[in-house]
Amino acid sequence: MIAFVRLYALQAAAAVRMSFADRANFALQVAGMFINNAVFLTLWVLFFAGFKSVGGWGFADLALLLGLMMTIVGLCGTVFGGYRDMAISVLRGELDALLTQPKGLISRLLARESLATSWGDLAGGIIVLGLFADLKLADLPLLLVALTAGLTVYLSAAISFASLAFWASGARSFARDLTDFTLLFSSYPGSIYEGAVKVIAYSILPAGFVVMAPVEMLREPGVRSVAVVISAACGYAALAAGFFHLGLKRYRRGASVA
Amino acid sequence: MLVGTASRAFTRLHACLPPSEPSRRSKSPMSAVITIANLRKRYSYAKRGRGLLGGFSPQHVSIDAVDGVSFEVGRGERVAVIGPNGAGKSTTLKILSGILEPTSGEASVLGLTPWRDRKALAYKIGVVFGQRSQLWGELPARDSFNQLRHIYDQDKAVFERRLGEMVERFALADLLDQPVHRMSLGQRMRCEITASLLHGPGLLFLDEPTIGLDVTAKAAIRDFIRDHARDHGQTVLLTSHDTRDIELVCDRVIVVNAGQVVVDQPTGQLRKRFLGRKVVTVLSAGPQIVVDLPGVTRRASEAHAVVLDVDTRLIRVEQVITAALAQGGVEDITIEDPPMEDVIHDIYASALAVR
Repeated sequence: MIAFVRLYALQAAAAVRMSFADRANFALQVAGMFINNAVFLTLWVLFFAGFKSVGGWGFADLALLLGLMMTIVGLCGTVFGGYRDMAISVLRGELDALLTQPKGLISRLLARESLATSWGDLAGGIIVLGLFADLKLADLPLLLVALTAGLTVYLSAAISFASLAFWASGARSFARDLTDFTLLFSSYPGSIYEGAVKVIAYSILPAGFVVMAPVEMLREPGVRSVAVVISAACGYAALAAGFFHLGLKRYRRGASVA
Repeated sequence: MLVGTASRAFTRLHACLPPSEPSRRSKSPMSAVITIANLRKRYSYAKRGRGLLGGFSPQHVSIDAVDGVSFEVGRGERVAVIGPNGAGKSTTLKILSGILEPTSGEASVLGLTPWRDRKALAYKIGVVFGQRSQLWGELPARDSFNQLRHIYDQDKAVFERRLGEMVERFALADLLDQPVHRMSLGQRMRCEITASLLHGPGLLFLDEPTIGLDVTAKAAIRDFIRDHARDHGQTVLLTSHDTRDIELVCDRVIVVNAGQVVVDQPTGQLRKRFLGRKVVTVLSAGPQIVVDLPGVTRRASEAHAVVLDVDTRLIRVEQVITAALAQGGVEDITIEDPPMEDVIHDIYASALAVR
């Protein structure tokens, strides 16, 4: 396990160095994403200046949700940035070279890239959580659980979507669209989702388990809410690993992609 | 176009032949590094019909990329697998390196079944794909090498010693701290081969290692592969379209076509019969140049260009050029190896005649 973490850290650090290589481009992308997030947050500030709550959610609750989302997306992009182009890697046959090497494939694919824009998300997320989410120091352990679980679900969903590339060439853009939909669902107060939309948000596009359930856990801590968040993370991770390896089996059989 | 024509010609010839037979050069089980028996790989894909509704009723088509291939490779042998595009070379290599699972048949590589023991096998083999990189483009080569040390769980001292040896042999000292994407293709390939050897594999697979390289870079790569393998008792299996790769690196050639082994012979035998040729093209401003010398055959030529097949066992290329220049009016001269498809066609036709 230590060797695995060391190897991952080494690869992720290399990916970060690659994203730093063009410094002007890096700075522009980080600043652009930071401003984008600031504008988004400002719109909500203006909204809450007129309406005190949305379905029982106040500004601090929304800030907690947005802060979690930005931090999760930021961490994913900086440390596991290969998730974004995983479907393309599969379709380009880039797994061939990795298959001739002895280490796990998913981790190698995730560590291949670090996205410059994600530093803007990460910085924005930390600021929003620190300044607007009404969190106390005592909330830190649960915040870490929320971030870890949310990140696991988001990453697992992205890996599952990318694994569609083992079956369909259209997954090149479809996987990204699904990941972006999950983000979109994660950007609004959970209380606005009802019926079928809520089912989708807690299943196929698991925004519910990326940020909504973690927000609930932080606001109303308890064994049940913690168990829900951790179980969801484990469940989605297992599903993603299973789905990827099912696709990999197909890839190694040389089955063509439609 | 030429490839397609040659491939169709082979296929027609193949219809006359009995099924491919196992290598006549079998090794004892103790010395065999690779053993393949009746290996088959069938690809299936959906072929869409014509018209708007054609996409809704696809036809399922199957292709036998590898069709009953059997051979053995002994320890320390350097073997070339050659054949026209689509012959099944790369698929065979992918099966042997654990990337693909065969449809049927058996294979043992260093005592392991590649598709079942992929990770264990990965520690023992090195793989180089001429058109795919295992290095990080934006990073200096040294960083990629260092990552490979961790990927292959290599002891630092052993790794440093091997890297030092490669750096010296391959003249990499000036390249180590250079980002890979800024290297020339030849420099990158030297680094790719180094990367594949740093964990000390006993068997090296190379898929088109000299593709796209200039003459000097090709020579450096060939010398390195041959000398390194010879000095370390390493077994090499390579695919190539370049006859010089085969002549200068390998001591045995396996010709495959339509997924089957057609010829399996020592390179020396093949060189005597098929590889001692050059193609010389002479462009002239005036009338066509005529070179009438023993060992020189004129191919179909155009008004101001004559294409000559030169048998280098009978006459030196230099003599042919001197004879051409003596006639005056020469504007350009090109010396090339005969296309691989022509060489394979000759080999194949000869094998057919023997049978």
